[in-house]
Amino acid sequence: MSDERKPSRGVKIARRTFLAIAGVVGGGLLVGAGAVAWRLRQIDNYKLPAGDGEASFGAWLKFTRDGMIEVVVPHQDMGQGIYALAVLLAAEGLKAPPEAVRAAPAPIEARYANPVMLLDGLPMDEAALTAPQRATLWTFDKILRTLGLQGTGGSTSTRNIAEPIRLAAASALDMLARAASARFDAPVDQLKIVGGAILAPDGKSATYGELAEAAAKLAPRAIAVPPLAIGDYVGKGAPRFDVPPKVYGRAKYGIDTREPGQLYAAIRHSPRLGGRLSRASIPADAAGVRGIVEGKDYVAVVGETYAAAMAGLDKADVVWDESNALKVSTGDVFAAYRAALDRGADYKPRWVIDAVGDPSGATGKAVKATYDAPFLAHVTMEPINATALVTETGAKVWAGHQSASLVQLLAAGAAGLKSEQVEVFTPFLGGGFGRRADLGYVVTAVEIARKFMGVPVQTIWSRAEDIRDDVYRPAAMADVSATLGDDGMPTGFTYRIAVPSITDQFVARAMPSAKGGLMADRTTVDGALFPFYGLPNRSIENLTVDSGVPVGFWRSVGYSLNCFFFESFIDELAAAAGAKPLDYRSRLLAAAGAYEPARRAHALLHRMGRYDQARPLAPGADGAKSGRGFALTECFHSFVGQVADVEIVDKTLRVRRVHAVVDCGFAIDPPNVAAQVRGAINYGLSAVLFGKIDFDQGRVAQTNFDSYPVLTLETAPEITVEIVNSGAAIGGVGEIGVPALAPAVANAVFAATGRRLRSLPLTL
Amino acid sequence: MGVDLTLNGAAATLSSPPDSPLLWALRDERRLVGVKFGCGAGLCGACTVIIDGRQARSCQTQVKDVAGKTVVTIEGLSGDIAQAVTDGWIAAQAPQCGYCQPGFVMAATAVIAADPKQTREQALSQLTNICRCGTYDAIRAAIDHALGALNAAPSPQKQGSAQ
Ligand code: FES
Ligand code: FES
Repeated sequence: MSDERKPSRGVKIARRTFLAIAGVVGGGLLVGAGAVAWRLRQIDNYKLPAGDGEASFGAWLKFTRDGMIEVVVPHQDMGQGIYALAVLLAAEGLKAPPEAVRAAPAPIEARYANPVMLLDGLPMDEAALTAPQRATLWTFDKILRTLGLQGTGGSTSTRNIAEPIRLAAASALDMLARAASARFDAPVDQLKIVGGAILAPDGKSATYGELAEAAAKLAPRAIAVPPLAIGDYVGKGAPRFDVPPKVYGRAKYGIDTREPGQLYAAIRHSPRLGGRLSRASIPADAAGVRGIVEGKDYVAVVGETYAAAMAGLDKADVVWDESNALKVSTGDVFAAYRAALDRGADYKPRWVIDAVGDPSGATGKAVKATYDAPFLAHVTMEPINATALVTETGAKVWAGHQSASLVQLLAAGAAGLKSEQVEVFTPFLGGGFGRRADLGYVVTAVEIARKFMGVPVQTIWSRAEDIRDDVYRPAAMADVSATLGDDGMPTGFTYRIAVPSITDQFVARAMPSAKGGLMADRTTVDGALFPFYGLPNRSIENLTVDSGVPVGFWRSVGYSLNCFFFESFIDELAAAAGAKPLDYRSRLLAAAGAYEPARRAHALLHRMGRYDQARPLAPGADGAKSGRGFALTECFHSFVGQVADVEIVDKTLRVRRVHAVVDCGFAIDPPNVAAQVRGAINYGLSAVLFGKIDFDQGRVAQTNFDSYPVLTLETAPEITVEIVNSGAAIGGVGEIGVPALAPAVANAVFAATGRRLRSLPLTL
Repeated sequence: MGVDLTLNGAAATLSSPPDSPLLWALRDERRLVGVKFGCGAGLCGACTVIIDGRQARSCQTQVKDVAGKTVVTIEGLSGDIAQAVTDGWIAAQAPQCGYCQPGFVMAATAVIAADPKQTREQALSQLTNICRCGTYDAIRAAIDHALGALNAAPSPQKQGSAQ
């Protein structure tokens, strides 16, 4: 085997990673296509269980006793509005008012698997798939569906459920119409649908609820679902049902779980990453304290209230064993990256994920730059927490999370039970951003509750613990170099990022016996891979360097790193070529020829140019330097261009305005698309201006919003969003505002000052 | 023994330790879980309640500090100003995950109640809460909406609908 393990030849390798996933899900190994086909048929025939007076219309819809239409959602709502979107699609398809539809969490069943999330991680260019790659995707899709891993992440929830819900709604409406036709003895085409009821020509009518039972008994027919287009709600949006309860403080989050007899646990982890607990004790007279739990790397004090538990923890005598703890400091991590990049093509493991031609022979004017970005914490607004009740025969878990099936599996393991014995309750999530995909906190909470059999225990991470026990956005460093021909166009391009593998770490945490390092971690190179620009003779590479710091998925994952590095460098090339940033990008896109992503990106670039003309940069206040920067990216199957206006006074950088142009194929709920993009831009801006987690000898330096500041009303820019319905397949939305923000701001700083900032957070 | 106060319009006694944070007395003892925990250090505003008409961080307030005072949580919010603020929030469809929103609504209600004629900038500058979902533009729109509604010429219908 050669040193450069190219995943394009790596179907075998990929299969082994898939087997690791199989183990995680506990689906066991599947043998033979026949078994897969049989299992898939079984899965496809799954129907929602219907109680007395209820009527099930298959896997997605049922009519409930109280006359509501219920659509089930196998995803968690962490603010992206997937529940509201499901309501909107079901209402549109059933021609019913949104108030008549309610969303409920889907059962934990294979039918609700999210293969999209995992397929996106395969290192291949979706816009130029080869036949073997297509076959691999098809096979993986089938197998992943039989394994049934549910999950919310990778901006996939709409992509995963929009079409099934549209189909289910169309099919249910057809069944209702046929039931009405039988009841009124009138042909279907003479019936009228009015606001959740069906009207016969003779004026008789029946509500959906009245027809539901008979309709549900009919066999579904093959239905052609009309293509996505602007309808009564689709393409327009409707008020979100979750907004009033959230405004009035009635929406319940995991941390709001209040079960009879519930106790509360305050938790502390070893100050150093990887440290162990030696022993811990607590004064016998600590008020309101019920006990102390000694974990492997944590101590928890359980009390009648969280305040009592915290006060008890403060009084606890705790001794840590740090002999095997991580001693790494931030400087060591970057030194390791530097050393790896210095070895370049000789470094192992090195993955060349996107190779075209050969950059080594390219000639012309050389341009080189090195970029870096720090570790980041998620700091979801609702600190990490989970509530568990364990008995001999079953367990219940209440938690915000990003995968019900993984929660069930991991909680079962921690409680010494079988998956089927674990019930999972999912309230709203006070933010996810990828943090709640890493479920160690559920395991910990179950371990603690297991010491109090029969009593529900809620474990809450203080903000300092939430930051200390995070799985961080990895720090990274990249060397980028290019050669430019006489016309200023690139003749060769090499991109090398030194970064740990998030996927390997994630799999190892979820299933310690799994073997990592088998496949390139595409997620850490996303944002530089398969560029829509014409870049001949290119090599885009990952050097995997793991310093032991736990890393995880952070809103937009690798795009948050690589878009900054890549689109900043494109600006540097424009400057080296003496071209304007938008013009240069236009030339690069034209150089890509007939490549669909280049066409879509170009359409956005035109709109950015139009915005630039229509709304020129406002002059800064007295003594301020102002500048405008641009960046363009494809991420999560969507395209985003951003225009950022900055103002600099002395050493203070302010982002005044951001304009985003978005092509997510078709915006089903445009106001929510705009809200998600705005929110993600602000999330990204916190990182651009302030975000930085540091390690000092294995200790996390930041503890709360004072040492880890985030954006507030005062620093938040005014953001406008322009949505383009290109008609392409639906792309993701929840994360797509993050990637282009950082380079747009850095490019604006360059425009304002002539200084090129290559390190995040941006410091003047 | 306990600390007596007026809580959401009714006389109440808190039996949590007098030097413990009001936040947890409200959440754990009184089950008023609309009061959110975000930082425990007075930095995020998720735990904001209104004490004697002023926005206050309940994580930085001890139980004994509210003896004899009037405390309002999101659960007990009422009146014309609160109505205008929550209407504004709903019109702007402000929440995403929603976790920060009750704290924001409480802070905004106290700030606007202190002077319903103030400008948007004056109101916004007193809102120092954090929203990790980045709903700041929508919150600005909500404040505009609330101030607009409160300062519009009163119509009979409007008066009728206010509680
Ligand atoms: S929890 Fe009180 S200010 Fe953050
Ligand atoms: S809406 Fe999620 S933190 Fe504000």
